[in-house]
Amino acid sequence: MMLIKIAWRNIWRNTSRSLTILIAIMIGLAAALMASAFSMGFVQQRFNNVIERFVSHIQIHNPEFVHDGEVYQYLDKPQKLLQSLSQIPEIKYFTERTKINGMIASAKVSAGVQITGIKPEAEQRLTDLKGWLTKGTYFEDVKRNPVYIGQELANKLKVDVGSRVVINFQDLDGDITAASFKVVGIFKTIELAFDEGTVFVRRSDLNSLLGDEALTHEIALILNDFNQTTTVKNQLQQQFPAYEVRSWENLSEELLMMQEMTTQSLIFLVFIILLGLGFGILNTMLMSVFERTRELGMLIAVGMSKMHVFRMIMLETLFLSFTGAITGMLSGFLLISWLGTKGINLAGLAGDSLAIYGYGNMIYPDLEPQFYFQTAIMVLLIAVLSALYPAFKALKLVPAEAVRKE
Amino acid sequence: MAVIETIGLTKIYNETIVPVKALHEVDLSFDQGEFTSIVGPSGSGKTTLLNMLGGLDKPSSGQILINRKDITTLKERQLTNFRLQHIGFVFQSYNLIPVLTAIENVSFIMLLQKHSRKKIDQRAREILEQVGLGDRLNARPSQLSGGQQQRVAVARALASRPDFVLADEPTANLDTQSAFNLLDIMEKLNREENITLIFSTHDQRVIERARRVITLVDGAVAGDEKRQQ
Repeated sequence: MMLIKIAWRNIWRNTSRSLTILIAIMIGLAAALMASAFSMGFVQQRFNNVIERFVSHIQIHNPEFVHDGEVYQYLDKPQKLLQSLSQIPEIKYFTERTKINGMIASAKVSAGVQITGIKPEAEQRLTDLKGWLTKGTYFEDVKRNPVYIGQELANKLKVDVGSRVVINFQDLDGDITAASFKVVGIFKTIELAFDEGTVFVRRSDLNSLLGDEALTHEIALILNDFNQTTTVKNQLQQQFPAYEVRSWENLSEELLMMQEMTTQSLIFLVFIILLGLGFGILNTMLMSVFERTRELGMLIAVGMSKMHVFRMIMLETLFLSFTGAITGMLSGFLLISWLGTKGINLAGLAGDSLAIYGYGNMIYPDLEPQFYFQTAIMVLLIAVLSALYPAFKALKLVPAEAVRKE
Repeated sequence: MAVIETIGLTKIYNETIVPVKALHEVDLSFDQGEFTSIVGPSGSGKTTLLNMLGGLDKPSSGQILINRKDITTLKERQLTNFRLQHIGFVFQSYNLIPVLTAIENVSFIMLLQKHSRKKIDQRAREILEQVGLGDRLNARPSQLSGGQQQRVAVARALASRPDFVLADEPTANLDTQSAFNLLDIMEKLNREENITLIFSTHDQRVIERARRVITLVDGAVAGDEKRQQ
């Protein structure tokens, strides 16, 4: 107990020096956490966008459709599957989609697009398609062949809400079919390529043109708990081996890789920052040991074991590090919580350029609790490493010489 | 009965390079309750002798018997524990722990000795009263004068009732009045508690009070005078 008291008070003997290193640890750690939270928020935003825009948590396809994406590679007899999906409690919503490739043409320009037939009402529960609407309506008040297109495509085709476009595609018999659609709504996501290359029509309209009212290429579903994705995916795959069941991890491998790489690189970044701070701590403690040579010599002379002296120096270093670490982590946490709600708007810095890469301008910093835990472990590791050298220096003191040191 | 006995105590520094003989065949014995000054010019071996007696340094040859136990054979850890249990130290520069109060400084060694809290507190207050600092129990060293700090150091050295106290020039940094006060206190404690005191000093004020004066010259005992007081 006395050792703890001495160690704690020793930290505050040179207040300005201790405060300097404490503030350095605090700012360094808070900045490292904030930078990490910003990067994680950036990745999370991309992740949410992808999931919300269209991927959902799990998708089910004909295995061949996954590779070729041909119109005839639809889900064979999906009734039993649909019935099962409605009985699995972990599944929140699901919807069927028809997906084909084709051409869209206005009076002046044509372009290749992916045509997705959706059930507008059901789709709303899964994705935020309606939320991206910037002009017109989301399949409302139009009786025949409405189409919902992206802003970029509208610009390219030089069309607006109310304009007519012609969509060409291959039907189930292999014949080219064309139909006139009316632009009812224009959407704008944060990814320009998506806005330019995807159009949405009613599944019923598309299926009747394709010649099969029940045609389904894709079933997308979201779960009540995102963390159940792998379990539900495996369960479905086992139950329906004829279909290919894929989770968002399979559907967006780059997203998963990006998430993992970001986490790894951020831990490395924090470690490097902490390593730098560790040298600061080491320097402070070495100075402290050298300044107190006579005092430490006296302690050994009067009967304090060298192990006690070693522990005292270790304790001082750990107290110093942890005081800085706790205040740093707390400051970082408060800053992240505040900005996590308020968001950071990069519009002034980046303009629309982030949209080219599929990112929005608003970033909401976010950090998982385990990242704080990992950081705390690293602080402990660095603090112990920084403490060892000064503590060993203290061990080597010869009391007879040390007590006379000026 | 001799508390301390040295037999053929020799210390040679830099034995393999340029040997410097700091102590040569010193045979001394100190009885319980003695008040001894070790005097001699600079470089005569006073500090080396005190270091040897305190187990802070090892002799090149010879024996140091404390209560008939040869401490030269002890390992470092045993020696540290031996110092803790049997020897009190008073240093020239007080060497108090600056972050602890007077009472905490005095209690410190007794805590290392693992006495009970109650006993430690009682003894620390008692000894600080004896050195005239009963009203400065919670003052830190920086709040005390040099003389007061040295009195705390004396209280610390005596609190655990060691077999003997080694004081290395304890009055060197004190003014005359503080030095006399300190000597009065040490003399009183020496008489009352029968603690053996061994000073290394140049200070005539200390030498005059000592009941035994050992003179060292070039590492050897040149004189050993016992006085009646």
